[in-house]
Amino acid sequence: MAIRRAPSKAQVRREQMLAAVNYPLDWLEERSGLVGGVRYFLFRKVPSDTNWMQTLGSATLTAFIVQALTGVILAMYYKPSPHDAYASIQNITDHVTMGWLVRGMHKWGASVFIILLFLHMGRVFLFGAYKYPRELNWIVGVLLLVLGLTEGFTGYLLPWDQTAYWASVVGINLNGTAPFLGPWLAQFLRGGQEISGDTLSRFYSLHMLIIPGGIIALITLHLYLVIRLGVTSPPWSKEAAGREVVEEPAPVRTGLTRPAPHGGGRD
Amino acid sequence: MAEEKPTPLELRRAGFARYKKDVKERGKSFYPFAMFEDTVMSLVVVAVIVGLAVLWKWTSYGPHHDGLHKGVIGPEYAPPADPGTVSFVPRPDWYFYFLFYLLRIFKWPESVFLGTIGVPTIALILLLALPFMDVRLERRPSRRPVAMVAAVLTIMSMAILTWKGATAKEALASEVIADVPSWVKTEKLPAAAVPGAKLFATAGCTACHTYLGTGGSNLGAPDLTNIGTRNLGISFQIRHLECPSCVNPGSPMPKFASLGTARLRQLAIFLESSKGKQ
Ligand code: HEM
Repeated sequence: MAIRRAPSKAQVRREQMLAAVNYPLDWLEERSGLVGGVRYFLFRKVPSDTNWMQTLGSATLTAFIVQALTGVILAMYYKPSPHDAYASIQNITDHVTMGWLVRGMHKWGASVFIILLFLHMGRVFLFGAYKYPRELNWIVGVLLLVLGLTEGFTGYLLPWDQTAYWASVVGINLNGTAPFLGPWLAQFLRGGQEISGDTLSRFYSLHMLIIPGGIIALITLHLYLVIRLGVTSPPWSKEAAGREVVEEPAPVRTGLTRPAPHGGGRD
Repeated sequence: MAEEKPTPLELRRAGFARYKKDVKERGKSFYPFAMFEDTVMSLVVVAVIVGLAVLWKWTSYGPHHDGLHKGVIGPEYAPPADPGTVSFVPRPDWYFYFLFYLLRIFKWPESVFLGTIGVPTIALILLLALPFMDVRLERRPSRRPVAMVAAVLTIMSMAILTWKGATAKEALASEVIADVPSWVKTEKLPAAAVPGAKLFATAGCTACHTYLGTGGSNLGAPDLTNIGTRNLGISFQIRHLECPSCVNPGSPMPKFASLGTARLRQLAIFLESSKGKQ
């Protein structure tokens, strides 16, 4: 029979601490399963040979989060009317405490976001990661690219300075040259025959509600698919997960042509 | 007994099942391994964004106390929007330069549609269709020559168009006005056309149109050196300037109604007198 010593005071205290820390987590887990969800996300397996290029997707996400946070702060000071917009932009940049930093991050973050979108897309292309079973995620990605560019287009008008105004006049007119939908689209964007206060509030609403809402929904779907399907390993890697390991005789070269390998190469 | 050849779909499913098994057996945990790299990259991204904001502020407003100053990467803001001054050269943000330049290649009205809508729409359709056009299982770049050549060509053309768009010469009113006397000589313009010629040089027309080799050639706008030979008439010219898209449905040219009828008439006289080199 084992002799059970009474636990020391320190031990008791440690156990009480642990229970106190775990209690809210257990409470949450019991009622939502969220803790298990996060644990699954964090401790899921990914290929052992992932490459630095595969960080570009989450870097794009980070840039988007920067845009969302700085955008919310800008919206507290920005006034979307032709009369006040320019002055409110001057006020944010030159007077509000750290306003220049918030606006600067939003303005330049937009370019960084667009660059990262293209780099991430390039990496997916290079890896052939748009192939079965990830076709749908590629399509979601292309839609994200389009929405990202639209976000840039609508945001450009908001400072209501000469650059903004004339780029948008021409941009909207160009949309109008499209067949069928073009004139209707131009009319919708302007909110009338001329660029006016209506155009500005329309662009503002598109820029800070509708398009970001779409982007957030699509990012959620995108990440769901990334987690469900897993990320590819670099196609050139020796470890390449999913690669078919077939012992086949060295291909016999016949002149310039080479016989096709069995089973259509690697995945 | 002959062995059944697996269908392409069966091959793909088998490949993906193998992938799942490999990752389960030989994979690494996302946290902390992959997440560490993601975090480092994200910190770099945030640092670059903050760095750009600081560079922008400290070289534009910082030393000059004037947000209009250009600085190293651009001013804080341009002068306030003014629908009355049409002399401003329209320029989109840099990531639209490739589109902007594409429009210099296609000319209004026959083919501008290709530049604005045609090429981008085709590019978008190709992007969306890519996973269904390229259905081989092969993922190694060295075994996908067609895809790699297509990618390099795409990147090169985007880079060249963006570069050309960035360095495109802008027609500044202050420089174009100096050409007016030579226009008068070359085209033998009557005295009544001179005020219109000066307006043409300064009101922003040359941001897109060319005249005797001067001007922007943007958005597919036609050359106007001998627009007068088409004898469109003064009243047509005025109506067109007031609202281009009302006369030419779909025209991307901005409205110039803000110049007022008197000045539009001067412009119209100048245009109607422009019969090319005499
Ligand atoms: C807001 C924009 C986007 C965000 C936040 C985002 C985020 C991510 C993340 C975090 C991953 C995981 C792997 C990695 O980081 O590379 C990923 C994978 C992927 N992304 Fe994106 N992405 C975006 C846009 C795009 C675009 C524009 C495309 C392509 C047109 C795309 C196509 C894909 C595909 C096919 C995968 C799976 C790659 C693999 O399994 O190796 N995404 N994305």
